[in-house]
Amino acid sequence: MPIKLQQIDPCRWRIPREGKMRVEGLVFADRAMIEVLQKEQALEQVRNVATLPGIVGRSIAMPDIHWGYGFPIGGVAAFDPEDGGVVSPGGVGYDINCGVRLLRSELEAEEIRPHLKELADALFRNVPSGVGSHRRDLSLAPHETRKVLEQGAAWAVKNGFGSAQDLDHIEERGTIAGADPEVVSERALERGRNQLGTLGSGNHFLEVQRVDEVLDSEAANALGLFQDQVTVSIHTGSRGLGYQVCDDHLKMMLRAAAKYGIELPDRQLCCAPLESPEGRQYLAAMAGAANFAFANRQLITHWVRETFEQVLRTGPSQLRMSLIYDVCHNIAKWETHQVEGRARRLCVHRKGATRAFPPGHPETPELYREVGQPVLIPGDMGRCSYVLVGTEDAFNETFGSTCHGAGRVLSRHAARKLARRRDIPADLAAKGILIRAAGRATMAEEISEAYKDVSEVVEVVRRAGIGRIVARLVPMAVVKG
Amino acid sequence: MNRHRQIEHTADLGLEIWGDSRSELFAQAACALREVIVAEAPVNPRETQEIEVSGSDDAELLVAWLSELLFLFECRGFLPSECKLEFGENCLRAQVKGEPFDPQRHPLEREIKAITHHQVLVEEKDGQWHARVYVDI
Repeated sequence: MPIKLQQIDPCRWRIPREGKMRVEGLVFADRAMIEVLQKEQALEQVRNVATLPGIVGRSIAMPDIHWGYGFPIGGVAAFDPEDGGVVSPGGVGYDINCGVRLLRSELEAEEIRPHLKELADALFRNVPSGVGSHRRDLSLAPHETRKVLEQGAAWAVKNGFGSAQDLDHIEERGTIAGADPEVVSERALERGRNQLGTLGSGNHFLEVQRVDEVLDSEAANALGLFQDQVTVSIHTGSRGLGYQVCDDHLKMMLRAAAKYGIELPDRQLCCAPLESPEGRQYLAAMAGAANFAFANRQLITHWVRETFEQVLRTGPSQLRMSLIYDVCHNIAKWETHQVEGRARRLCVHRKGATRAFPPGHPETPELYREVGQPVLIPGDMGRCSYVLVGTEDAFNETFGSTCHGAGRVLSRHAARKLARRRDIPADLAAKGILIRAAGRATMAEEISEAYKDVSEVVEVVRRAGIGRIVARLVPMAVVKG
Repeated sequence: MNRHRQIEHTADLGLEIWGDSRSELFAQAACALREVIVAEAPVNPRETQEIEVSGSDDAELLVAWLSELLFLFECRGFLPSECKLEFGENCLRAQVKGEPFDPQRHPLEREIKAITHHQVLVEEKDGQWHARVYVDI
């Protein structure tokens, strides 16, 4: 069935209700993006999500939307338990709490340029990235893994990785409540045990960056960002533990969907009512995996700080590498939103989307209360990334959400074909970017052309009012799994 | 002979597999999975792993089978080379020969996060088996 699309304004498109859709779809995109989207199945996935029980508001897609599994990547959907609303592991994805954190420093780009090669090599060595690699100085007893699941980033800080102030600058302060390690399978724990403190491959990365342009000086000041400053981005998630939690619960949800009579347009959308034992169990396991991811990024942060200190032969007080913020990209969370004039407690699924709470929101950290919650939007390894802050419009229209990245446009195969005759490290070096990658195919599959231009994505976000652009960051050194 | 190929997906990778029997189809699927991880690096049949998985239909069984092989790779460092398969009611028992992953001899291509249920398909027509499955990268 072809997708009906109605243009609302230059950046908004409506998918009107039809068939089994319970709500309409809303896609943020410009015309060129829509033309690309119509060639794949992402819009159909927005429509499929709209058929799930208890969905409220709209089935939303951000401008970085692309074809995912069940849910589109770049999708936001909120469900009301009082309306029979559901939770779906596919609406979170395999990489539970895949997310990004951004560290600032007191350094200017020119100060590190002479040490960049050494820094890239040391980061590649100190932060494990390839399959099977992990820090020999970190070994977790099974009971300790359970604590990581319960406590998240707080576990890492308690064990000497980072400071208590770091926790103030993480979504949910780095610990999602309600995690229950008892509902996480032995297999998930086993996959996770040796992967805590590892980057992983694919689109995960660690990047040393330079603030290329401050686009909003008031907000940049509040976030501690300045022109030519050195920043570090860390993009990774819950590793094998999260993938296995998703896998285990997809199986359970396939049975649950049949048991509760939920009609599924796609198996990967399998789900259960939020108030059912299956729904509660998934949320408790998901919270554990999300906490594992927060701890993962916290450990890597510690090793990044150590590496900078070693290479630059300086101390923490000179570098002042503090955490600006840490956001989840793949998560389902309990939040209160106004829908049809009343405050409702909803389970908001963000799959490849970022929470973007406005100024004044109680969950926005104290330091950023006047400008809004920082939103971190990584681009591709050859172009740039952005820092945004949340807006009131995003809160009202998208359950406080915005985009999460550039979004792929090329398949891995097409990207490899394009990269075949090129020397990617040399191309990047010509732009002043050093790359270190563990997987042979990863570098070719992650070339800039494989992604939308993130600048176009955030431009749609800005025009639509669902994010305020603060600064643009460009890569100096990239570490890939 | 290779009877599988990688197919396009914007974010991830799809596998298309053929076989003259269900056993050949599933054995080919194991090779297709291995090639995503270590391309065509040779893998010797030096050790044997016993596997048993279940699934409500052939499609679920294929996802379970590949998920098990992925687990063996990730947690035990085991790469498959030859498979002997036996199908029961909604289950599959296999003797899988292979060897430990050695990054020197098996240069890593990329990591797989999971085997998805997205548009998974196993079909048989006139004795010819065909499957499609997507893996999350």
